[in-house]
Amino acid sequence: MKKFKKITAACLTACMMATSLAACGQSGATGSTAGSAAGSQGTTAEETTITYWYWADNDDYAKTMEEMVADFNATNGKGITVVAEQQPWDGGGYSTNLLNAAIGGGGPDVASFKLTATPSFVANNLLANLDPYLETWEDKTDIADNLWNIMKEASGTESVYVMPWNTQILYVYYRPSMFEAPGIEVPTTYEEFLNACKELTVDTDGDGKIDQYGFSMRGASGGQEPWGSFIYAAGGSFEDLTSEGSVKGMQDFIDLYTNGYVPETAPNDGFQETIETNFKSGKCAMVIHHTGSYKGMVETFGDDVAAFQFPAGEGRWTSMGDTENVMLETCENKEAAFEWMKYLATGKGQETWCTVTGNVPVSTRVQQMDEFQNNVFMKASIEGIDFAGILPILDTTSDWISNIWPSTVQQALLGQITAEEAMQTLQTGLWGE
Amino acid sequence: MQNSKKPRTNIWPYLLVAPALLVVLCVVFVPVCNAILMSMQNYDLRKPSQIGFIGLGNYIKAFQDELFWSSLWRTILWVVFGVGFQFILGFILALLLNKSFKGRGLARAVSLVPWVTPGVLIGLMWRWMYDGNYGVINDLLQKLHLISEPIPFLAQPETSFFSVILTIVWQGVPFFALMLMAGLQGIWLDLYEAADIDGASWWQKLTRITIPSLKNTIFVTTLLRIIWVANSVDVIFNMTGGGPAYSTQTLSVYVYNRATALDLGYASAISIVLTLLLCLVSVPYLKQMLKKN
Repeated sequence: MKKFKKITAACLTACMMATSLAACGQSGATGSTAGSAAGSQGTTAEETTITYWYWADNDDYAKTMEEMVADFNATNGKGITVVAEQQPWDGGGYSTNLLNAAIGGGGPDVASFKLTATPSFVANNLLANLDPYLETWEDKTDIADNLWNIMKEASGTESVYVMPWNTQILYVYYRPSMFEAPGIEVPTTYEEFLNACKELTVDTDGDGKIDQYGFSMRGASGGQEPWGSFIYAAGGSFEDLTSEGSVKGMQDFIDLYTNGYVPETAPNDGFQETIETNFKSGKCAMVIHHTGSYKGMVETFGDDVAAFQFPAGEGRWTSMGDTENVMLETCENKEAAFEWMKYLATGKGQETWCTVTGNVPVSTRVQQMDEFQNNVFMKASIEGIDFAGILPILDTTSDWISNIWPSTVQQALLGQITAEEAMQTLQTGLWGE
Repeated sequence: MQNSKKPRTNIWPYLLVAPALLVVLCVVFVPVCNAILMSMQNYDLRKPSQIGFIGLGNYIKAFQDELFWSSLWRTILWVVFGVGFQFILGFILALLLNKSFKGRGLARAVSLVPWVTPGVLIGLMWRWMYDGNYGVINDLLQKLHLISEPIPFLAQPETSFFSVILTIVWQGVPFFALMLMAGLQGIWLDLYEAADIDGASWWQKLTRITIPSLKNTIFVTTLLRIIWVANSVDVIFNMTGGGPAYSTQTLSVYVYNRATALDLGYASAISIVLTLLLCLVSVPYLKQMLKKN
């Protein structure tokens, strides 16, 4: 009995300690179901259920998606019922959750998607090839050819696995009143932009403390997008992050922090901090983001917020955020799933979603609507189309965005490594040894 | 006359335990075995064509990885200071709540709030409390004239780790208080009365009666908290994600970051190392307990 007690005690202790391992093991080969209803439920043409995963930046967007789903379910005339499940974006963790769910067989039929995740999904044969459906789709030409080409490039094949939905092109939001007070013009060159960051950092009430910063810097995950504009403007590029221009861009970025032209919290600042806490509170004069936040900006500042594209230096680049939809290979009703994807890409779903979110439509028909033609923020987005780009889509990209970039840039901002060392790490992390 | 019959083996206890053991086998040991196997493979979902057995390759990589060692050191500090302060403050709270006073029931209930609050919520809540621009902590410190300008607690390596430790201490104090209070209520009051008659001081009663009587409770709660705190990810992840510049990255957070980067083989190897380290801590404890039994 004594021996039995010993064995029991040993087993219980081992169980407790094994919990951490269990979590890791479970997320591996078996994946996570992530709380999703698995796969399609319907089997007949009359009654088909399609599960759909998406993320929403705020409650209004989630409500809009619910309305779109209700509209599609009521009007598709093919007995298709879409069941949408909102998932957290989680600083990009959404893509990993979707991958785990798909590998474990618990993913949805259709899901919102980011191009950067394509290599992992294609390598694991998780996405349905859309070519057969696109061949017979009459509205395919409503989406520009270059977008289809980008979709193909992302998969590394000649096939399309990813359906365009909308884009978000970054630009600079600024506060005209803050520019007017010291008589600063809207920057037209990179040097002017850097100078504006300096000039707009001021002690407004004369108490000896800085209470207005020139720029709201994002040093946490997601900050690689605005950061990319500095790299290109200084003459660098993602293709060679160790080039003289790239290192200079990094040094400029670091200097903004060390010179105090951005809030001290910058190394850990993410979306909420840069937009809400820093810019919308009136603490910063400029911030880089896309049209997804313009309605909130206008609600907060009225006419005292405007936009300009990140100015050119040696080069020019702005991030084209993308959102697409994919059909998972495990989807049992692919025809029905494609109907939903069409609704989102060129149908009423495209119109509704882009109108509410302010994202740039991929449908040329929707782009011509007054709503998009007469909007100052949309204009800034459209101005950036010519030089907008995306990060190189490699199998390292997700890790680079989520882990390598924030950690390395934080180290550089905090003076633990030099700009050269940081760029070497970023180069290795993205392109390999 | 001796009874030559062998005592009958009663299988009922084993049968009754069997379902629970089966569940444990399925939900714990199978994934554990899976993790061990995975730790010996180049198991990177970003490169599925390269998945294959590499023996101890991931372990060798870990031992050559500076981030592994810095995360390990931080894990030790995280556990020592986190659990240490939880115990000290929890013990004090237990002694206070064990006294009779008006509103004790309410005080006991309120003191449990941090423990019943989900770790994710705690992380987010403290993140905003620490905020360098509008956090309540900065506001209070400024109003008390302890600081002249806000401190970006979570954006500086010098303050970020201390800040997350303070948060985990806040979360874990009620657990110690609750367990130790239960232990305190099991101590015979006669012992204290006898000590009073003998003229024992408060300190003597604490060190000669209270602490020795709570020895087993202290042993179990400390062991549990060491394991839980070492494995804790939610608080750090939601407050800093391991940053800035890795300054709050413990081994568990490192495992999480590698796993979400789909490098599951390496993440598994670090998990195994962490488990072995926890075994090293737990075995002496376990031995002591068995010896006592």
